[in-house]
Amino acid sequence: MPSVETGNLTKIYGKNRALDNVSFQVEDGEIFGLLGPNGAGKTTLIRILTTILLPTSGSARVAGYDVLSHPSRVRRLIGVVSQAMTSDLDLTARENLNVYGQFFEIPKRERLEKVEYLLDIVGLLEHGNELVASYSGGMRRRLEIARGLIHKPRILFLDEPTIGLDPQSRLVVWDLIRRFIKEDNITLFLTTHYMEEAETICNRIAIIDSGKIVALDSPERLKQEIPGSDVIELRLSGITNGIADSLLAIPGVREVALNGLIAKINLDNGAHLLPAIIDELRKYDVAIEDISMRQLTLEDVFIRYTGKSIRDEEIKKVSYFIGAGVPRRM
Amino acid sequence: MRTIAIIKRDLKKFFRNPLIIIVSILMPMIYLIVVGNTVQGELKNLPVVLVDMDRGPYATRVIELVRAIEAGPKTIRVFYMSNPERAIEDVKQGKYAGALIIPEGFSRDVIRSQGAELGLFMDNIDIISANAVHASVLAAVPFLTKEHISVRVDTTRPILKSVELSRKIDYDQSLVPGVVVMAVFMGALSTGVFNLIMDRFLGIHESYLVTPLNKMDIVLGLIVSGLILTTGIAVIVFAASSMLTGIFMFLGLSTYIMIIALIILTSLGLLGLMFILLGRADHPRIVGVFGGFLNVILFFPSGAIYPVASFPGWLQVFAKVNPEAYAVHALRSLMFRGGDIAAIRSDLIFLALFTTAVLTIAIVTFKRRL
Repeated sequence: MPSVETGNLTKIYGKNRALDNVSFQVEDGEIFGLLGPNGAGKTTLIRILTTILLPTSGSARVAGYDVLSHPSRVRRLIGVVSQAMTSDLDLTARENLNVYGQFFEIPKRERLEKVEYLLDIVGLLEHGNELVASYSGGMRRRLEIARGLIHKPRILFLDEPTIGLDPQSRLVVWDLIRRFIKEDNITLFLTTHYMEEAETICNRIAIIDSGKIVALDSPERLKQEIPGSDVIELRLSGITNGIADSLLAIPGVREVALNGLIAKINLDNGAHLLPAIIDELRKYDVAIEDISMRQLTLEDVFIRYTGKSIRDEEIKKVSYFIGAGVPRRM
Repeated sequence: MRTIAIIKRDLKKFFRNPLIIIVSILMPMIYLIVVGNTVQGELKNLPVVLVDMDRGPYATRVIELVRAIEAGPKTIRVFYMSNPERAIEDVKQGKYAGALIIPEGFSRDVIRSQGAELGLFMDNIDIISANAVHASVLAAVPFLTKEHISVRVDTTRPILKSVELSRKIDYDQSLVPGVVVMAVFMGALSTGVFNLIMDRFLGIHESYLVTPLNKMDIVLGLIVSGLILTTGIAVIVFAASSMLTGIFMFLGLSTYIMIIALIILTSLGLLGLMFILLGRADHPRIVGVFGGFLNVILFFPSGAIYPVASFPGWLQVFAKVNPEAYAVHALRSLMFRGGDIAAIRSDLIFLALFTTAVLTIAIVTFKRRL
């Protein structure tokens, strides 16, 4: 049975289609990543799946239950770490976890043990009695991950769990998540901006843009769809007609894209082919002013599907009557 | 368990904000003190300018009488001037509450019994002061002679008000029911739905919307925690203000219990009302703006300060659906007439129906999703 299953899920805000006929499945025990530029519909999708937003049309089942007809069943089986920090500032970490455990009606003994266990694992045992208001962003995030797991959910939703954290905190957060998944066999549904994180952790990745899923596969397969295994980028002193074709004629070069004085070459086994490329450029009497070579990453896949341009995002609606920038919706 | 978790959470958070507790208790008390000393009691030291153009024996007598008021009840303070036009001009500019002008030939007219007249010019922009000056001068002048002298008054509305000096304590006591209801209002505004609004403002609410909490858990949890706090605040305010004004001396135990029960019922009703009115708000500023407005439209027409019977018709109609009016009426009956259930039966019925209705609407209309 799939953990998450959607059918033509659509959400319309005014004229904007935040989600446009989204259909996909997430298998049990899978780590599923949702990538997309800002405003692509990631958070909207997570909010519908976690029962706090109603879709305009379409269906969604989470942990076997319909989110529209059985939201309370779904809520018992999911853990959610929202994009915004949502732990209670006026309570201590211990109290936050304890109150949350009570919301799920975990018996007292079990709950208190679980709170201590989780605080220990996320490294907050020492600060467990301090108000969350005194916490750093990384500490608060760790606490929220612990909170999302207090009732042993079958599916954990993580919306940008590492956004705004320093690299150390990000590493800690991912270590934690990996550990919990292994221990409890949880299905993970996450969104992130960090491609390398998605690439290393996810079994499958969906790329969403303008409310539509434009690609869905394992990171390796997604990368295979792009020709070559490496990318060489060259800044040339000038461009002469025929350069691109000559470069393409080298065996192993798969794609050449010219953009002004920059040549981007997708190729197999870049290190071996680099001398041949330099020789070829000499024939045209073109100097290389800068050169870089790297392996193809998920980011290349992402840019290929979603383009380089910054999205024309719909801005948040704020109340002009009350002001102070409270978003009507995120 | 889920509802209790919310209640405990809210109580914990509230007691971590002692400032709110202090303000919630002190504000209605300060109100009692301020209103008790501004609206009621005798008016004092109103400046009156006196122009003596007669300089005769009866003019001297008038001055003596006016000085007697100045020295005795102290309603007015007398200033002297020789130019009557200047005096009237100063009254028009609000420098004096009134000008008493003794015209030329005043003594002669008194002696001849030719209808002697005094001129009293008053600043009728400030009606309350004008009335007080008018009343005290009018009260003094008949001592001069009998009916020969009429005081010509330059104001269109000579309404006399008797000021009962000995009623000061009673007046303060009569404010206590209103002050207690105001404490309930303040409590209902700063707890209950306010916690939901703060959670929304801080983005915390999203975290409990994804849990198995249902509408009833959330709404009742918030309202019950608000009820505990509001009742606590109102009982403290009641205890303190009845000690300040001496009410506690003549109440029996059963009356106390009924007063507390009434406070609980009123708190529930107002907490439910706030939930309906502010249940979708997402910014504490809305509470600030709306709360001040609500306080005025619920409190002043409640009969806490002025009797409902004296309101114009449309306002009396509003008072008929204003829960605070019923609460004030019932509390007043309990405090001053003793624990007579019959006197407050209709108040209790209205409040019970009102509370049931608002709580039901609050739960049904609560938006469980974003």
